[in-house]
Amino acid sequence: MTPSPLAFGGRHPNPRNKRAAAVIGVGHTDWVRDWQRCRAGEQPNDSLGYGLEAFRNALKDANINRDEIDGLIAGPTTAYERMGELAGLNPRWGDQSDAVMAVSQAVMAIEAGYAEVVALIYGNDQRSVGTQYGGPAAMGGNAHLSYVYHSPWGFTSQGALYALTLQSYKHARGFTEREMGEVSVAQRGWSSLNPNAIQRKRISIEDYLASHYVCQPLHLFDYCLINDGGVALIIAEAERAKKLSSRPVFIEGIGRSDLNSGATSLESRVDEFYLPAQQVAAAQSYAVSGLGPKDMDVLQVYDSFSVHVPLALEGYGYAKVGEAGKFLRESGIGPGGKLPTNTSGGHLSETYMQGWAHQVECVRQLRGECGDRQVKDARHVHYTSDVAGKCFSVIYGV
Amino acid sequence: MSATEVKTPRPVMGLYDKPMWESVRAGAMKLQRCKHCATWLYPPGPSCPKCLSPELEWTRVSGEGKIVSWVVFHRHYLPAYPPPYNAIAVRLAEGPTMISNLEGTMPEDGCIGRAMRLVYVTMPDGVMLPRWRYEG
Ligand SMILES: [Zn+2]
Repeated sequence: MTPSPLAFGGRHPNPRNKRAAAVIGVGHTDWVRDWQRCRAGEQPNDSLGYGLEAFRNALKDANINRDEIDGLIAGPTTAYERMGELAGLNPRWGDQSDAVMAVSQAVMAIEAGYAEVVALIYGNDQRSVGTQYGGPAAMGGNAHLSYVYHSPWGFTSQGALYALTLQSYKHARGFTEREMGEVSVAQRGWSSLNPNAIQRKRISIEDYLASHYVCQPLHLFDYCLINDGGVALIIAEAERAKKLSSRPVFIEGIGRSDLNSGATSLESRVDEFYLPAQQVAAAQSYAVSGLGPKDMDVLQVYDSFSVHVPLALEGYGYAKVGEAGKFLRESGIGPGGKLPTNTSGGHLSETYMQGWAHQVECVRQLRGECGDRQVKDARHVHYTSDVAGKCFSVIYGV
Repeated sequence: MSATEVKTPRPVMGLYDKPMWESVRAGAMKLQRCKHCATWLYPPGPSCPKCLSPELEWTRVSGEGKIVSWVVFHRHYLPAYPPPYNAIAVRLAEGPTMISNLEGTMPEDGCIGRAMRLVYVTMPDGVMLPRWRYEG
């Protein structure tokens, strides 16, 4: 199981990181309620307000006093200082980052002794304020040159980046449109069992194939939702977590590998599908945790677009390279499938919280709180993310 | 539509992008080539990502390439681009990949790998864009 140190450029992942910290509280907003209110033309809250509602729920869930918290991470959509001001937190350590980096940073801060109990707070009013993910004002263009560089040729929107990836992936692997459809069909299967999900109507492969293209080869059902909401997590040092909580969910190991070469011209997506970076991230997390794909009961994949899922199946070792299509058809990732994946419905069907809600689902599956969609006796849940070349592998366990 | 409504989206125009766009306007696209290791850069930048040398030479590209991926937009994002329209990724003979458009026809299944030829297209507002046609 333990990969050669050559896989990490001769450096070994630090085994001390195994179970260094645990999630002791999760909270979120009612995205179904806010979806309906947004559709009725209301603005139920702003990003800070959603984050703070989630934080109140996470504190309740953790059943701890706010004074226990000595670290704060604000999500990328709200100013760190204002979030800290409103949360009434004056921590001894802080940061601002996206979902998976936040989990990773929290573990690092805990491991290094800068904090013991870290609150991670994210809120996003993207639906009610009409955040643009395509066109001349596309979100993220300041951080990612590829989001804006190709606009003279009309090449814009996040979806286009993934459509271009899927097209060359189909060609390279013989992956079919029908196989792509398996992902959104499976995730709707899960969301139909999740009362928190925004889109709960089951769909068939035929529905998928009949749906219109937004950016061919991506169909409407391959796209994430755009909705308002917030998520908060409370992560504590492992020993402290055991004292504070009767049901801590441990972070067994984290791996990361970035593929920046060819980022702007999209070579890293179109030629390599981020595969080399996913493999190194996976190997590191497996080496730290002593676990492998066969030990995982549930997989959670960052799914702004459905194509993330087959790439993850190959990159993180669930299917042989070139066999994700076969895996989707024969093993299955939906209810009743061999590898339950995105069991909440994910970004496609539950809520688009940019990876944050996936962490909540990891925790709830391991606590056995998922009702009709609960995966029986889940012991290990794997979260993977490959946003803009930053490939992460996070393994949760009880 | 008025002229302002069909404005071609303006390119990102950093310090190192200007010479490239000037060469496009002249109908002879140039990219930077590293004087030390002969790596070609796209998009333009201050130094070679392979050997870190800042000694780069603006050099005309051959105009040859092959198509490596494609999409067709069915949503209206930009006034200059009413759907449906295509975008393609082309691997230049020199090495870099460029996002552009296929001229003359729409891409279709089986086109990946086809040989391409660089052409220069003047947009309705006068902006000149490097685009690609199937070779032959
Ligand atoms: Zn060089």
